[in-house]
Amino acid sequence: MPEIIDLQRRLEDVGYVAEAPLAAALLLMLELGRPLLLEGDAGVGKTEIAKALALTQDARLIRLQCYEGLDVHTAMYEWNYQRQLLAIKLLEHDERPTSVKEKDIFSERYLLKRPLLEAISCAVPPVLLIDEVDRADEAFEAYLLELLSDFQMSIPELGTMRAVTKPLVIITSNGTRELSDALRRRCLYQYIDYPAFEKELAIVEIRAPEAGGQLARQVVDFVQSVRRMDLQKKPGIAETLDWTAALLRMGISVIDDDGAERILETLSALIKTRDDRAGFTREVVARIAASC
Amino acid sequence: MLTGDAALAVELGAVVRARLAGFSGFLRANGFGVGGADAVSVLDTGAKMGILDPQVLRWSLKALLCGRGDEWRRFDKLFDAYFLPPNKSLIVQSSGGAAGGARDAADAGRAGAEFDSSPGTGQPVAGDGDEGSARHGASREESLASTDFRALNNSQQAYDIEALMRRFAKRLRPLRLRREATHHHGRRLDLQATIRQSVASGGTPIRLAWKERRRVRPRLVLLVDVSRSMSLYSFFYMRLARALCGELADVYCFIFHTRITDVGAALSDPDPWRSQARLHLLAIGWAGGTRIGECLRDFNRDQGARLVHSRTGVIVVSDGYDTGEPALLAESLATLRSRSRCLVWLNPLLNQAGYTPESRGMRAAMPHIDLLAAGADLASVERVLPQVLQTLR
Repeated sequence: MPEIIDLQRRLEDVGYVAEAPLAAALLLMLELGRPLLLEGDAGVGKTEIAKALALTQDARLIRLQCYEGLDVHTAMYEWNYQRQLLAIKLLEHDERPTSVKEKDIFSERYLLKRPLLEAISCAVPPVLLIDEVDRADEAFEAYLLELLSDFQMSIPELGTMRAVTKPLVIITSNGTRELSDALRRRCLYQYIDYPAFEKELAIVEIRAPEAGGQLARQVVDFVQSVRRMDLQKKPGIAETLDWTAALLRMGISVIDDDGAERILETLSALIKTRDDRAGFTREVVARIAASC
Repeated sequence: MLTGDAALAVELGAVVRARLAGFSGFLRANGFGVGGADAVSVLDTGAKMGILDPQVLRWSLKALLCGRGDEWRRFDKLFDAYFLPPNKSLIVQSSGGAAGGARDAADAGRAGAEFDSSPGTGQPVAGDGDEGSARHGASREESLASTDFRALNNSQQAYDIEALMRRFAKRLRPLRLRREATHHHGRRLDLQATIRQSVASGGTPIRLAWKERRRVRPRLVLLVDVSRSMSLYSFFYMRLARALCGELADVYCFIFHTRITDVGAALSDPDPWRSQARLHLLAIGWAGGTRIGECLRDFNRDQGARLVHSRTGVIVVSDGYDTGEPALLAESLATLRSRSRCLVWLNPLLNQAGYTPESRGMRAAMPHIDLLAAGADLASVERVLPQVLQTLR
């Protein structure tokens, strides 16, 4: 338990408020050397965890953003063809035997390291963030499985590249596609929900200290009531912070039903779809504001 | 902490280990996707994180053994049931001898069995399902008799038509995308790969590499109306859905009447008899009334964001006889339409001569659907589906 509290404190120092279960999972991940799979709605702070973890560990953060059509060349490694071609031309009049020249051309100098290769060839274990893995296709997931189980990668011309140190792998998913059971089994799992009132208040106080006690409390109360409404896109923590900044910028220091007009002007930072926005009339905002 | 607790775990030995190892089996009995290797990981975790603080153990095992959201939500109850008193006192009592290990494991097994058989909390999935039907099934229109699916597999005829459908599903070729991938005889030169291959021949590009558009399968979402008015066709569509689920990777199937149910897992069961049995269980309310609007709204809310994306074709199979609010139907369809690539409505009645889509539901739906087509036999479906897939590229 003291280690968990200690980790929580260190995370808080770098601006991330983690609940004890999450801290325990991070600790377990450090101990077992397993990847951590984070799931949850957009905007609940999944990506931030990796950043905060990198800061607490004094490690590099290597980020691989997944997208549809992501292939091995963009994720793992690629040969620098232009330089290789140039080298071939330059070596034409070289007297050395061909095998030596060939070895030269396929040496690490001509290898472009992409995030995954980069991550396993660092001397100090980095934090590897594989963001939104559900956007990549199944084929890439299979590659990833191989990497995550052995922490090695084979490059035909160079041989097998073994991990110098095991990177700390954090995988995030938004649930747009079911991930394979094999990947889930390899990972520790954490479901991140929208934060409760106290946690969100703590986040706002850390990230936007200029908001002051009363406004921060009201902002969080307002956002929590908004989340309880039937919306297409519920506001995440990033939206809460944006909105706080917007309120401060507009010089609004207190949320009450008299200021509903002005609050309405700042709502674009909180509500991101047209249908949701249509539901926020002056009366609705005034009602929520009055209850804050 | 690690060295200290590791030593502790080794000292505590067999009893604790049997207890911890039994936990993964207990979770498996309750429908978690954990394997035999996880028992080892549990011991490892126990040794590394310490086992004396129940909260730490709970959080650690939760991170270790859960794999998806629903497991995440059920875990705490199962953890309590397994580890908390009176089970907890067992550990203390029998911590003396190694012989206690076997007994303890047996106890754990018994506790698991008891937990399984208790109706209220035993199987959270089934429990939730029952609750759900009680909640949604308040309508008097629902026929509570479970409907007979035996026609699905019994006769040779059923096999024949299923084979026909499978052949049809196989003909739905994978799609080509705008994104490209290397291909042995494509239509565009892949410069990067050509140069790479030319390295072998000293910089002279002798072998050329080609690119071709990548192929992926489109995603289809089938929403099949199984209300009474559709009962003549619903078996037919279930068979078609089963064929599609079997042959295509990205097909999702839902049935709806007064509420909407996911039948994808039941349909793709490789054992046809078990598939039939599972459909039996899901069939409560089959051939009852229809509330299309509410069902589609529920679908949008619960599944829409997850399943429907810009390359999804949504196929609604219904005759449009709706007892719900037409405005709600129109609104739900508009939402569904905005999420998906195309929205097709198959109406079996359209095959009948002289039918016009004049029912209230159909009139509300018409502005929001891309294609209204007949769907009373395989031939008419065969005319529509390839076109749907064409638009998905």
